[in-house]
Amino acid sequence: MSSPFSINGGACVAMVGKDCVAIACDLRLGLQALTVSNNFPKIFQYGDNVFLGLTGLATDVATVSDLFRYKVNMYRLREERQIAPRTFSNLVSSSLYERRFGPWFVSPVVAGLDPKTGQPFICGFDSIGCIDFAKDFIVSGTATEQLFGMCESLWEPDLGPDQLFETISQSLLNAVDRDALSGWGAHVYIIEKDKVTKRLLKGRQD
Amino acid sequence: MAMFSQNPLLNGASYSFSEAPKFNAPEGAREHRFDPYTDNGGSTLAIAGADFTIMAGDTRLTSGYSINSRFHPKVFKIGGTTSDQSDATLVLSVVGFAADGEALKERLDAICKMYRYRHGKPMSVKACAQRLSTILYQKRFFPYYAYAILGGLDEEGKGAVYSYDPVGSYEREQCRAGGAAASLIMPFLDNQVNFKNQFIPGSGEGHALQERERHPLSRQEVETLVKDAFDGAVERHIEVGDGLQMMIITKEGIEEVVLPLKRD
Repeated sequence: MSSPFSINGGACVAMVGKDCVAIACDLRLGLQALTVSNNFPKIFQYGDNVFLGLTGLATDVATVSDLFRYKVNMYRLREERQIAPRTFSNLVSSSLYERRFGPWFVSPVVAGLDPKTGQPFICGFDSIGCIDFAKDFIVSGTATEQLFGMCESLWEPDLGPDQLFETISQSLLNAVDRDALSGWGAHVYIIEKDKVTKRLLKGRQD
Repeated sequence: MAMFSQNPLLNGASYSFSEAPKFNAPEGAREHRFDPYTDNGGSTLAIAGADFTIMAGDTRLTSGYSINSRFHPKVFKIGGTTSDQSDATLVLSVVGFAADGEALKERLDAICKMYRYRHGKPMSVKACAQRLSTILYQKRFFPYYAYAILGGLDEEGKGAVYSYDPVGSYEREQCRAGGAAASLIMPFLDNQVNFKNQFIPGSGEGHALQERERHPLSRQEVETLVKDAFDGAVERHIEVGDGLQMMIITKEGIEEVVLPLKRD
């Protein structure tokens, strides 16, 4: 309970579909068992189709998300183009490893589409930047076990955008309902070639 | 959980009585420890239907990172009059510490047999459930480290599942997952058995949405759910695997099925 990763609570999941990806997070911010806010999104956008989910210590979620906004802005000015999800993942990895002996207490998740090929891309990281490339789904936060159980049984290959939305939403909603530190509504992003749909899920408010 | 962990890095060798340190101790001071528990991993699952109950468990037995057995059943018939338990009506599943689970099963079985001998009828699930709670609470300060689930058919012939914590707190439920992969399986059950977070499309906005109505699942549907739940758990939990043992309790009797699971 006193682990920095589980003081504030929160959950995040990303999934691959057919020519689309999805990323979703809950909205809770807490101090141990006490809920402080029910509007604390954990997904941040860093390009037309590059998204980062951050769970863990809330102060680090805020700081790290701002740090990457700064780094991505600098990248865009220097390169005069948007950052690709794979490039961004390597930036996340090296930035986290810089803090090898005093890490940010976050578990990041990246989701996006390759700007050239339109190929779905997702990956996850540990707090010091080891990348976990996945073909199916990535989970993070205090509800990881529940999310693994849900995703492993609901996810299947080549889901269309609408099916993918249903799958990721059901996975997240049912997982956070069995985790006291996560929940209180959710944000779901469905990322397709030249279209991003953001939906707010109400979910259980307890 | 370090207390129950069998990771040798955390706890040293896994003996019940640890040796007293011979060095680095103040004059004459000796530390003695008694570690009577082990976590043997594994997972169980029970779902009640309209006129049947399915109890299931994997058959792997672990200690730390070792697999001690690939076939060690966690699901038992209870209260039959013969050694093969062919006329039993109840099923008990136990996970946690295998030795305590075994001891608990033996005690409950003996009690159910005595009841049957004295009263000339098998114990009802309701009665057995209360008795099991009492057995567990009697050891409140040196508990059986076991998560028990009791399954059978109630007085009306409906499927009944009773789930317990190690000290006897219990509840009747539609479904329950226990053990190492309980946290992976339970949300899946909420969604697929009790239809949690499922709503009738277009029936309202936000919380005014109408919940999808619950209905008892068929035996075929439940068997599929059990297999899917365990396939998911096996994929992501190292203490779950090898075999899936299922007991299907109907008014005709208890059917037992053992299916293979991934062994990696």
